[in-house]
Amino acid sequence: MTPTYYLLLSALLFTIGAVGVLVRRNAIVVFMCVELMLNAVNLTLVTFARINGSLDGQVMAFFVMVVAAAEVVVGLAIIMSIFRTRRTASVDDANLLKY
Amino acid sequence: MLALQPPPQAPIDAPQIEYSAILPVLILLGAACIGVLVEAFVSKASRWAAQVTLSLLAILGAGLAFVLYVTDSPERGLTTLYRTIAVDRPALFLWGTLLALGLGALLLIADRTVERGGAFVAQAGIRPGTVQDRAQMASGGMQTEVFPLTLFALSGMMIFCAANDLLTMFIALEVLSLPLYLMCGLARRRRLISQESAVKYFLLGAFASAFFLYGLALLYGYAGSVKLADIANAAAGSAASDTLLFGGFGLLVVGLMFKASVGPFHAWTPDVYQGSPTPITAFMAACTKVAAFGGILRVLTVGFESTSWEWRGVLWVVAVASMVIGAVLGLTQTDIKRMLAYSSIAHAGFLLVGALALRPEGLSGTLFYLLTYGFTTLAAFGAVSLVRDSNGEATHLSQWAGLAKRSPVLAWVFAFLLLAMAGIPLTSGFIGKFVVFSAGIQDGMAPLVVIALVASAVAAFFYLRVIVLMFFSDPAPDGPTVTVPGTFTTAAITLGVLVTLVLGLVPAFALDWAGTGTFAF
Amino acid sequence: MVGDVSVMAQSSGSDLGSYLPLVFLLALGAIFAGVSATLGALVGPKRYNRAKLEAYECGIEPSPQPVVGGGRVPVAYYLTAMLFILFDIEMVFLYPFAVSADALGVFGLVEIVLFIATVGFAYAYVWRRGGLDWN
Repeated sequence: MTPTYYLLLSALLFTIGAVGVLVRRNAIVVFMCVELMLNAVNLTLVTFARINGSLDGQVMAFFVMVVAAAEVVVGLAIIMSIFRTRRTASVDDANLLKY
Repeated sequence: MLALQPPPQAPIDAPQIEYSAILPVLILLGAACIGVLVEAFVSKASRWAAQVTLSLLAILGAGLAFVLYVTDSPERGLTTLYRTIAVDRPALFLWGTLLALGLGALLLIADRTVERGGAFVAQAGIRPGTVQDRAQMASGGMQTEVFPLTLFALSGMMIFCAANDLLTMFIALEVLSLPLYLMCGLARRRRLISQESAVKYFLLGAFASAFFLYGLALLYGYAGSVKLADIANAAAGSAASDTLLFGGFGLLVVGLMFKASVGPFHAWTPDVYQGSPTPITAFMAACTKVAAFGGILRVLTVGFESTSWEWRGVLWVVAVASMVIGAVLGLTQTDIKRMLAYSSIAHAGFLLVGALALRPEGLSGTLFYLLTYGFTTLAAFGAVSLVRDSNGEATHLSQWAGLAKRSPVLAWVFAFLLLAMAGIPLTSGFIGKFVVFSAGIQDGMAPLVVIALVASAVAAFFYLRVIVLMFFSDPAPDGPTVTVPGTFTTAAITLGVLVTLVLGLVPAFALDWAGTGTFAF
Repeated sequence: MVGDVSVMAQSSGSDLGSYLPLVFLLALGAIFAGVSATLGALVGPKRYNRAKLEAYECGIEPSPQPVVGGGRVPVAYYLTAMLFILFDIEMVFLYPFAVSADALGVFGLVEIVLFIATVGFAYAYVWRRGGLDWN
């Protein structure tokens, strides 16, 4: 197995996540897509750690995981607060702010 | 039984830490942690006083530590903590700016005279539109978590513009962003649009940090390290694939530009500036911009200077897009906070001209511009928070008609700040634009500077429109009133106006200070 | 000496003696599980209620399945889940520290104690402000 396949896989996952953020309507799903992007980054980091023969990439993956967890908590709190008011988590319904 | 134990490792050396250099950041972080404990253990009645005292002491203490360090800091700067933090002259300039702006923003946040109980919701969990919501609007309480969150965000900003390493930069980016996402949703009035702005800022911000991270990962693959200096070395002489380098750079820049609300990555800016509580808008507009451009300057100069001929064209387009979007869409706005948001997008374009110059004049010019813009914006949002009617802030432009007849002082102050943003001589904005644009010309970017001049002329039109509206229109009979602010808000606005005035009249000392040194790595 | 043994174990794989600790561990685990199950059955009080007979003794009732969009999960679950994720993931930094604790020396110990103290501040906040109360 060459590590290149893992890079391709992670690029694919990142793209799926990015497209998901752009096309999905539910805030929770959008948010999950962002998490998918972050995990794709983790895969890239550990693959490059393997290719470069250093542990730095694996340690960086830890940092990304922790930041992602903190982001999940902040994000869920914000989305829950708006959901409780509006009874919907659709990003299309968040339309009070525009020109 | 010991058979499975791994062989003993060689001892790992503890990093050299220059505590005196990073003391300001440590003070802020420590005070933020104490702030969390205050929330946990101090009774509800005395929390506000405790938090305000603690936060003010923290910023003043950090400022004192900063001043003590600056007086005998090494000329060339130093790097510490395994070379992840660079405390050099540009970083120190930005730290000083951030601490002063942070103090101003904190005063606005702590103010309870403009709105009874402050601009923040009494309890974030209360659903908008319910009986409890109307009760909290009239109550005097507020969610005092705002203060530790502000301190966390401010320390994140300070680390962000001193980070010499992309991972440190990413962590600092999150430390500054996560508190801001939360604080956006905490407005006492108009809770719905406040929460909506928090969701938008959060989703787009998380999206942008994912781009930043993927860029980081690709650059790690390219250079085998995420230190900016190592990336620069690898780019100067490496056989590795340029796809990784430029792919990584592009993604990284998207993340950075988002935070600085530049050009095509600005979509969140107007909504979030409008929806957030105005003191938080002031904090974001002033401090985040300073920190983000500090990061951009360092990444471009330290990490990617050797490849600048490859990417500069692309960033030209970004700068032009930012200036045009800011100036043209700013014309069509009817809400004063949105208008200031588009103005901030246009200013981001002007700042990018200086950042692209990649020479000492560009660096010092951009730093100076950040200083002037930060204080002007802080005071402008402070002034916006004073114009109120029975529903809270009156931000619609039509409500500002004839304001000079109701409160000449506020009208003159706001007009002065708008003139500074437009870059009229005798204000700091003029000097800022002048140094940035002349650095651009010196670096052979004349076409870009011409576009920037046209854009600032267009932008000047919408600033002047507000001034004309305030001075030459008749006030509506049921128009808003201007609240007489208490000590805190008065101090913050005065600070912003004074700096804008002083830097416009005698800019030399600040320009010298901004130009004393370059990045250490 | 310790190093030599482990290198041998990795290189040859024939030295089964080095796997002895694993066998001990397995045996200990089996004994612990057996003893606690037996003890619980012998000396524990036996009071049954409806919740105890369900597949899981905690969480949302698994059936009937919530109708899509209609069946809602109480907000309290989100709060607990969020706190769990946060404190759970923070602990990831203890693994690299534990692996290199000897090599890091006193500096590493001080740093990790500071780290745990910082997490402790957050914990104190959650606890004092009622984040851990179910109702």
